[in-house]
Amino acid sequence: MSTPPSDWEVVIGLEVHVQLHTRAKVFASSPWGFGKEPNEQVDPVVLGLPGTLPVVNREAVEKSILFGLVVGASVPEHCSWDRKNYFYPDNPKNYQLTQKDFPVVVGGQVEIELPGASRNVMGEHKFIRIHHAHLEEDVGKLSHAGSGSLVDYNRAGVPLLEIVTEPDLRSSAEAEAFLRSLVAMLTQAGVADCDMEKGQLRCDCNVSIRRRGVEKLGTRTETKNLNSISSVRDTVIYETARQVRELEAGRSITQETRGWNAELGRGYVLRDKEDAHDYRYFPDPDIPTLKISRETVARLGKLVPENLYDRQRRYVDKLGLPYTAASVLVNARALAEWFELAVAAHPTNPSGIANLVANDLLRDLAASAGNAGPLADSAAAPVSLSSCLIKPAQLAGLVKLTDDGVISKQQAKEVFTEMFKSGQDAAAIVDAKGLRQNSDTGELEKIVQEVIADPAVAKSIAEYRAGNEKAINALKGPIMKRTQGKANPVLIDQLLRKFLA
Amino acid sequence: MAEGFDIDHLAKLARLSLTAEEKVLYSSQLNQILGHFQALADADLPATIDDARVVNEAALRSDEPGPVLGAEAVTRIAPASRDGQISVPRVVDDES
Repeated sequence: MSTPPSDWEVVIGLEVHVQLHTRAKVFASSPWGFGKEPNEQVDPVVLGLPGTLPVVNREAVEKSILFGLVVGASVPEHCSWDRKNYFYPDNPKNYQLTQKDFPVVVGGQVEIELPGASRNVMGEHKFIRIHHAHLEEDVGKLSHAGSGSLVDYNRAGVPLLEIVTEPDLRSSAEAEAFLRSLVAMLTQAGVADCDMEKGQLRCDCNVSIRRRGVEKLGTRTETKNLNSISSVRDTVIYETARQVRELEAGRSITQETRGWNAELGRGYVLRDKEDAHDYRYFPDPDIPTLKISRETVARLGKLVPENLYDRQRRYVDKLGLPYTAASVLVNARALAEWFELAVAAHPTNPSGIANLVANDLLRDLAASAGNAGPLADSAAAPVSLSSCLIKPAQLAGLVKLTDDGVISKQQAKEVFTEMFKSGQDAAAIVDAKGLRQNSDTGELEKIVQEVIADPAVAKSIAEYRAGNEKAINALKGPIMKRTQGKANPVLIDQLLRKFLA
Repeated sequence: MAEGFDIDHLAKLARLSLTAEEKVLYSSQLNQILGHFQALADADLPATIDDARVVNEAALRSDEPGPVLGAEAVTRIAPASRDGQISVPRVVDDES
């Protein structure tokens, strides 16, 4: 697909629907979860049967507030719910409970990081403003079979936080970066799992284009119900190209609702029933306005984790990690915290620890979990780590053994593999395998002297003494051989120089 | 009194099929109702949220899962069902 000519600028706003991490539904006590038999997670409140009344789930409200605090939004004193009226089989009550005028979260911003020129170069950072976020109920799921459609209300009433951005995004890459950042923030704060395979995060994507330098926004289209980050990216690319084509051909853009066919990689006009947007909102008479105490906001504020990019800056600036390792570690909070525990146990070499965690540990965890994907962005990360046999202090112990010259870096890889399998301490494995490099000076001195006395190396010794520094290396091989590779190379070098001086 | 609404449009949105007589009757009644709201809107009231309709967080529900109806009960109250799901005339929102 072609990129737009540079005199066109694309303007993107997203509406991100996220299922909140709760056990019960948002206005009903029915449980919910993925993969249950159809209509087994439905109660009278979900269906809006006569005599039922919705009552708001505290956890859903608190998770919404926590999201607001994570993005630095304001949490208004009051929020309230409205009825959005429409007839469609996915909507059991003929209205959806949502928040139109007084949402739970107002404002805020999400820091994003664009891809760098290469994997080890950090890209540009930007802030994307959040307009508001409101707490509503999800609707049921339709499937189409022959001449009819089937309705499963398990999803109806699941707490859904709709996060609405300002039209601040300017490219498909920015939209993608925004969603990655948002997912990391939501999962790290425990607000939502954001498992897109389970439909826990779905997007509506508003796209318009305008001539560069023009302030007035162009007519936008809304592509609904995108269920993956790649679909959002592809929609932006497709829709931008389509709108450029239309305008350059002298046609105009129709404000319309569109769908996305991910298999065919193309958008299409949704045959919206006319009046579909005439929702006749009014305040829900069953749910009173909610006053949110400042004590609650303060209590939830303590649960806000360190922002992932603040963490990344700290790792690079304070701990001296390479960007590549830092950017991998900060994507999953459990991983970052695991790393920090290891650093606490061996504070002098954070980079050594980071490399083992970001490369070896992640690779082996992914392999043992039977998938190739890294833990980044995944709510499954804590699960994988909790099944990890190596404890942070044990990994620190391994790095310390390497730093102290007890084993070589090459041997450390071997010990790591063993630790991953058995969960044993590095020192125990080193001893059991007899890997410990010989640092016993007395024994080594004897071997060094014997090797020096061997006429076979006399020529090398003469060269070294004549000023050829490199000639000393020819003596190290025989010493290593006689110690079966266990001698500490640093010590050998020291002893050779001492005896040859 | 000029009507601030289109009775045919409202009937359509509400999926109501009204006779000519009903349209006249409901237009008149709806106008009266809207008149009452206009009276409320005209009243000089402070722009604050009505305390009587405000609750604090004690009125929230704890996140404890409760009983469910079960698919059998859910589908029994529907006009038609199949395989534990409610069966409705085909609604199309996909590309076709």
